[in-house]
Amino acid sequence: MAVTATNSDSPTSIFFKGETGRNTRGLLRLIILCTIAAAAVASRLFSVIRFESIIHEFDPWFNFRATKYLIQHGFYNFWDWFDDRTWHPLGRVTGGTLYPGLMVTSGAIYHFLRFLTLPVDIRNICVLLAPAFSGLTAFATYLLTSEMSDSPSAGLLAACFMGITPGYISRSVAGSYDNEAIAIFLLVFTFYLWIKAVKVGSVMWGGLTALFYGYMVSAWGGYVFITNLIPLHAFVLICMGRFSPRLYVSYTTWYALGTLASMQIPFVGFLPIRSSDHMSALGIFGLIQLVGFTEYIRAQLPSKQFQTLLRAMVLIVFGVAFGGLVLLTVSGTIAPWSGRFYSLWDTGYAKIHIPIIASVSEHQPTAWPAFFFDLNMLIWLFPAGVYMCFRNLRDEQVFVVIYAVLSSYFAGVMVRLMLTLTPIVCVAAAMALSQILDTFLVAEAPAEPSGDATKANGSASSNGSANIKDKLNSAIPESLRSTKAPLVGIYSYLSKSLTAGAVTAYLLLFVLHCTWVTSNAYSSPSVVLASRLPDGSQHIIDDYREAYYWLRQNTKQDAKVMSWWDYGYQIGGMADRPTLVDNNTWNNTHIATVGKAMSSREEVSYPIMRQHEVDYVLVVFGGLLGYSGDDINKFLWMVRIAEGIWPDEVKERDFFTARGEYRVDDEATPTMKNSLMYKMSYYNYNSLFPAGQAQDRVRGSKLPATGPELSTLEEAFTSENWIIRIYKVKDLDNLGRTHQEAGAFGKGNKRKKGGKRRGARVLRVD
Amino acid sequence: MKVLQALTALLPLGVFGAKKAATGDRFQTYHSKQLSAGGPVKIDDKIYAELTKGPRDYSITVLLTALEARFGCNLCNEFQPEWEMLGKQWAKGDRNAEGRLLFTTLDFLDGKNTFQSLQMQTAPVLLLFPPTTGPNAKPDGAPVRFDFSSGTNKAEPIHSWLSRQLPSIPHPQFVRPINFLKIGVAITAVLGFITFATVAAPYILPVIQNRNLWAAVSLIAVLLFTSGHMFNHIRKVPYVSGDGKGGVSYFAGGFQNQFGLETQIVAAMYGVLSFATISLALKVPRMADARTQQIAVFVWGGVILGMYSFLLSVFRIKNGGYPFWLPPF
Repeated sequence: MAVTATNSDSPTSIFFKGETGRNTRGLLRLIILCTIAAAAVASRLFSVIRFESIIHEFDPWFNFRATKYLIQHGFYNFWDWFDDRTWHPLGRVTGGTLYPGLMVTSGAIYHFLRFLTLPVDIRNICVLLAPAFSGLTAFATYLLTSEMSDSPSAGLLAACFMGITPGYISRSVAGSYDNEAIAIFLLVFTFYLWIKAVKVGSVMWGGLTALFYGYMVSAWGGYVFITNLIPLHAFVLICMGRFSPRLYVSYTTWYALGTLASMQIPFVGFLPIRSSDHMSALGIFGLIQLVGFTEYIRAQLPSKQFQTLLRAMVLIVFGVAFGGLVLLTVSGTIAPWSGRFYSLWDTGYAKIHIPIIASVSEHQPTAWPAFFFDLNMLIWLFPAGVYMCFRNLRDEQVFVVIYAVLSSYFAGVMVRLMLTLTPIVCVAAAMALSQILDTFLVAEAPAEPSGDATKANGSASSNGSANIKDKLNSAIPESLRSTKAPLVGIYSYLSKSLTAGAVTAYLLLFVLHCTWVTSNAYSSPSVVLASRLPDGSQHIIDDYREAYYWLRQNTKQDAKVMSWWDYGYQIGGMADRPTLVDNNTWNNTHIATVGKAMSSREEVSYPIMRQHEVDYVLVVFGGLLGYSGDDINKFLWMVRIAEGIWPDEVKERDFFTARGEYRVDDEATPTMKNSLMYKMSYYNYNSLFPAGQAQDRVRGSKLPATGPELSTLEEAFTSENWIIRIYKVKDLDNLGRTHQEAGAFGKGNKRKKGGKRRGARVLRVD
Repeated sequence: MKVLQALTALLPLGVFGAKKAATGDRFQTYHSKQLSAGGPVKIDDKIYAELTKGPRDYSITVLLTALEARFGCNLCNEFQPEWEMLGKQWAKGDRNAEGRLLFTTLDFLDGKNTFQSLQMQTAPVLLLFPPTTGPNAKPDGAPVRFDFSSGTNKAEPIHSWLSRQLPSIPHPQFVRPINFLKIGVAITAVLGFITFATVAAPYILPVIQNRNLWAAVSLIAVLLFTSGHMFNHIRKVPYVSGDGKGGVSYFAGGFQNQFGLETQIVAAMYGVLSFATISLALKVPRMADARTQQIAVFVWGGVILGMYSFLLSVFRIKNGGYPFWLPPF
């Protein structure tokens, strides 16, 4: 913590020297950190100011609903919550299948504020939880970076980056009440505690790591990242010959306590000892015991042959244990890698075997503009920072390198994992930039070359006896090439001012970029859409809430609503109606059933809907407004998922024209035109336009002159901009006719001859 | 005891023979052929017509394929061994022909007429003719066609498809045989590698333990991944594409698209920027000569400014509404 402000002539120098100087700097640091936290919170409030205090998107609606349940019924009831209003008719053991950390956190805050007699609505706590925690994340990043770098400015820069970088804002704007809201803080803080534990080697820091790891497990499925990164760090350190009692103490403490803590979450349960995702942690736990034992013996018995024997023994035991793990996995005692994590390694796996994972847009691979969009100039400072970690490669720098490489890979494979990449990018970029600033912001110029920069080169130690080794060592330098020469400093003021000016400009540009991205891309609640009118004023499109409110007001309390799974949580949260499937995609077959009902002909769909007691069907249609996230665009995934279960009844090929195009106009395939989804989307749509002029504004195509006809459903509600359309499922015909016949009779058509349909009416079962 | 064993061993053969003698129908002839051939029977136009004509009390699958190299059908050649394996295992597992299913292969050279009459444009095509008489009969007897368009060249999907199409017959398990050659090669390679590593350790170890090497590897990995290499790998994007006017378009339009070359350009830009940053932070303050240092600061500062400005201009191509820019570009 030595700042090189040694301008002793100035009268204010008393504030920057000695004990007073330390205090002044500490105070400044605190003020800066508070300002950063304030900026972090403030930059996430766009959506609240523009729209209102509202929960965003899809998953947050479930979290919100669960939090309300927790507050109403208490913790123990929440733990045992069986929810019969989702996944009709199966229901969901919600208490045992969620990560309760988020709800418990906001519940605790709620009760604490109540205790202080501050009557705050739970919704506002939920909306503002993510921004509040982002301030804490900035602070945790400061702590982590300060452990990594000797520079006094690196931590502050990292905190600043973390506070406003869009890569993190994307998941933590006000209203985005999702697990990531608190999980990123926990991730960074756990890593900070881990580094501290490794550095100090104390049981207390190891125990704290375990405690926050346990909290992290309760909050987000991404805890597996920590579960694998910490063992990897330990493993690399052992391979590098950096095993130390500090590492032993911190790792064993963390593993033992952390595993126990994680097993307290019902959703995780015995996974830490039964699934492959967690086996690396267990394996390294075993390995570190062996290495610790060997090191102990070596200290007692300095015989060379014995050491070789011991080393061989360690290797053999490790190999045997690894083989045993593989055998246990093959025989099924240990569950293989879960689909989500496995698909990170075998990137083609999900598309073939688990289309439901591949269908989620945030599970797509990341194109380069997304990296630049989310991280701006940090993305090119990042490699420089990683390189600087190689300068003096201590335990904590090794951690940065491992984290950087691994998380860049993950972020490249899956868009949503950009979130785990962001902290390390901020840390590494701050290390690089602070190095520049520290070098160029020194006021005094060097007089003569000083020779105190050799500390970076000090770790060369040749313990081998072979002659070749020495020769090779002299040929290949142990330290980095760029730090061989002694440190001198910057001579001219021109260079200093130019560089400082340029860096300031880049930093300002970065702030502008972050503000622009946050304001334009990440602050839309997606429940409420905004558009600009020709005169520049804002127009709010509020179809979702309109439709959900209609459901709440006009349907029976237990009317079952069928929709694609994306809208399940919103229907449950806003309309308070039972749904067939929702965003907790635990039952692929049930989702495929809905997919089949949507993609089949009415004659096939109707029995399915009757069997599932569906009262209303909800579709999202963007054709009128040009809203591209609608169901017709998601339709192929419904088909694919249904095809996975019923390959002979639903075929993706049938939805493409002979030339392989996905069309909705006149040339659409008959299967497409007869599918329930197509009919529901375009039913009555051409009545809005002059004859033959109907136009779909999303897919930019003209629709057939005559619209589709529905016989088993009737239109119940269509929202203002036609984004949401709700249909009521007709009851069975009173006279025992099929709905098609009844419809034909109503129109006055003649009944077709050849009355084959005799005998008792039976529900068609497919 | 011995006699009894011999008798039981003969028993299926005896039954088989009796049946053959009793009926002597097409199915038995070709089923025994299939058993002796150890795989699907090769047929030609004549046999095809004979086997598929109704009424049939058995099912038959025909793989219409073009194995000759001049047709250049990769999928046919890749799938052929899988098909043979499936046919062999099915026939073995259903030795008594309870399922009454025949496996046959019709090559284009032997069955030009059939290909013509079926108006085949592509190969391979797998047809399944269900029985027209008997307990499992389907009334129309029209063949069912397996869709190879998903690009499968494995036997497992075919097996499950057949099982779905013919639900009421026994389905012998399909077990992929253990590839001993592959295991042997793997073991040899591992042992060879260990030997090599032991012998060469004194030479290799300093290289492996070298910090510059690891730094280079890590940086290349980070640059590759952050410039969207995994996207190219997963989506199999084109390396580069034309712009419609005879030129080359280096940057794909749209935020969600990219070309292979484009990511390499971006990675190079990131690399240059990072290298300039490293030079500015680590190398420049180590220069002993004041004048050289001044020039170095100008050069590296200029490189960063120019490159960053170019990067921003490239990003504006990708994202039309992006409002920020820096001087040169």
